[in-house]
Amino acid sequence: MTTFTLRRSTPRDLNELVVGAPGTLVALTDDHRRSLSARFRAVISNDHRRLDAWSVERAGQPSSSFRWSPATARRLLGNAALRRVVRDALVAPTEAVADEIDDQLLRCASGYARSGSLASWLASLSASEVALVCAEATNWAVQVLEIAQGLQVEWRVATSDAYYDVARARTSLRARRDLDVPLGEGRVVLRVRSGSPGKSAGPGLRSDLTIDTLANPKGIAPRRFIGVWPDAGVALSVDGTMADLRAGARDLVRTAVVQERRHHQMAA
Amino acid sequence: MATCTDPSPRSVVEALRGDRRRRPRTDRSCAPGLRSILEDGIFELPYDTVPATPLIVRASSLRQQSLSTDIALSAHARVRGILVNQVLRLLSVGALVTDPFDDALRAWRLEVGSGELLDFVDRLSGDDLARLATDVTAHAVTLTRSLGPVSPHWLARSAVRASVLLASGSVVLRDVVDLMVGTTVGEVASVALFDVTTSPLGEGAERTMRYHALVQTLRSGVVPLRTSSFSTATGEMWSLDVDAELLTRSTHEVLEALSAIARHA
Repeated sequence: MTTFTLRRSTPRDLNELVVGAPGTLVALTDDHRRSLSARFRAVISNDHRRLDAWSVERAGQPSSSFRWSPATARRLLGNAALRRVVRDALVAPTEAVADEIDDQLLRCASGYARSGSLASWLASLSASEVALVCAEATNWAVQVLEIAQGLQVEWRVATSDAYYDVARARTSLRARRDLDVPLGEGRVVLRVRSGSPGKSAGPGLRSDLTIDTLANPKGIAPRRFIGVWPDAGVALSVDGTMADLRAGARDLVRTAVVQERRHHQMAA
Repeated sequence: MATCTDPSPRSVVEALRGDRRRRPRTDRSCAPGLRSILEDGIFELPYDTVPATPLIVRASSLRQQSLSTDIALSAHARVRGILVNQVLRLLSVGALVTDPFDDALRAWRLEVGSGELLDFVDRLSGDDLARLATDVTAHAVTLTRSLGPVSPHWLARSAVRASVLLASGSVVLRDVVDLMVGTTVGEVASVALFDVTTSPLGEGAERTMRYHALVQTLRSGVVPLRTSSFSTATGEMWSLDVDAELLTRSTHEVLEALSAIARHA
């Protein structure tokens, strides 16, 4: 049975969600990984497949090709800035974002940036456009910082998103995560999202949980995975139980199936 | 002979922050009560049928009481408003805005990519474009002169969106606050909401200020310190300290607006 919990995103509610996470740790074994790989291999694809919570929520509908914009750059810059703020409490989020942008521009100027990367995109912008990107990233950094500062337990900004390459199935899975909360033996993961949760937010969150667990070297699931929608003031959580992990894996495989069906229909 | 002059007026940002020693304690108890008033009011609305799509309330729903034509809704005025807001966004992160129209237009293009209003700007003749640029520059100069420096430590964020669901999602309160400073975390209220308009301030602006405070309270569970509105047309600023009475008044205004929306839906 799925264990979704919908709450407000006030500090009190978030603390209750974090501290009240189930104590039992669940782990995925090599058998589970092999089984998932076999299911994905059964969905034959000519191209490399990339799946994440967004593709699950959109039921495999193709999304428009990625392009950098203030909205797509804000999370990357905002979280990097937040790591700077955590390292040096005297640095304000706006200053940290500006420093992060400067570093990106320096990377581009010194020839280390690939074409199409965030650094090369930022280098192509005018000063006012960079300022807008800075404003968007500051919004992101401040909202994540407010959520984190409301937690009464130790937290850290996630160092990266979770990636898992499904062996021999030409499939990459990605789970976004913003805050990591170590809790006893286990951990709780928070993901911050814009807008308000749609009807398929639950399956999306569950697939994030599954991918995060697969990406863990020991296959240990987070005790709870919490999605926070500060714009709407709500939080949705899913527990790291075996039933939820299985449901998350099923959602991902189902999305791959639907994507392949669409490809065939378009080709026909 | 010594001449005494009045001290020069404080900047908008200083007025927003106010005297730190006089700030009240953070109120985290109001939000559930306000939500109940709204939920009860929505339940009593005279719906014939349950609406298929959610009824959406925006600040503009409260600004305009009747369905009359408003000169502020012309494409020119809307573009001017958007561009002045872009200037505010740039100023909020300490950017140096040398050419307000050009800088704001570039920033807006980057943000939205394409759209009806951008097409409108692209179709303007040379004279009309120059008129728009002059208009935007005049408003932006008023804003820049009045705003004052925004300290990065005030956690300023711009164009802050909110979307609060009520009555199981059949009503959505949507809002965008132009500038927000302060934090919801802490024992003392510090969140100040700031709205910029290119129209003169009127009764509608007051309702909008209350609406911003209400939506922010429902969204975060924390009552903001104050809500303000600044007109770049007149250089006038109105500021209200937020309390339970102001928020309750806003709930009634939202219910009135909802009733009007439901009648025309």
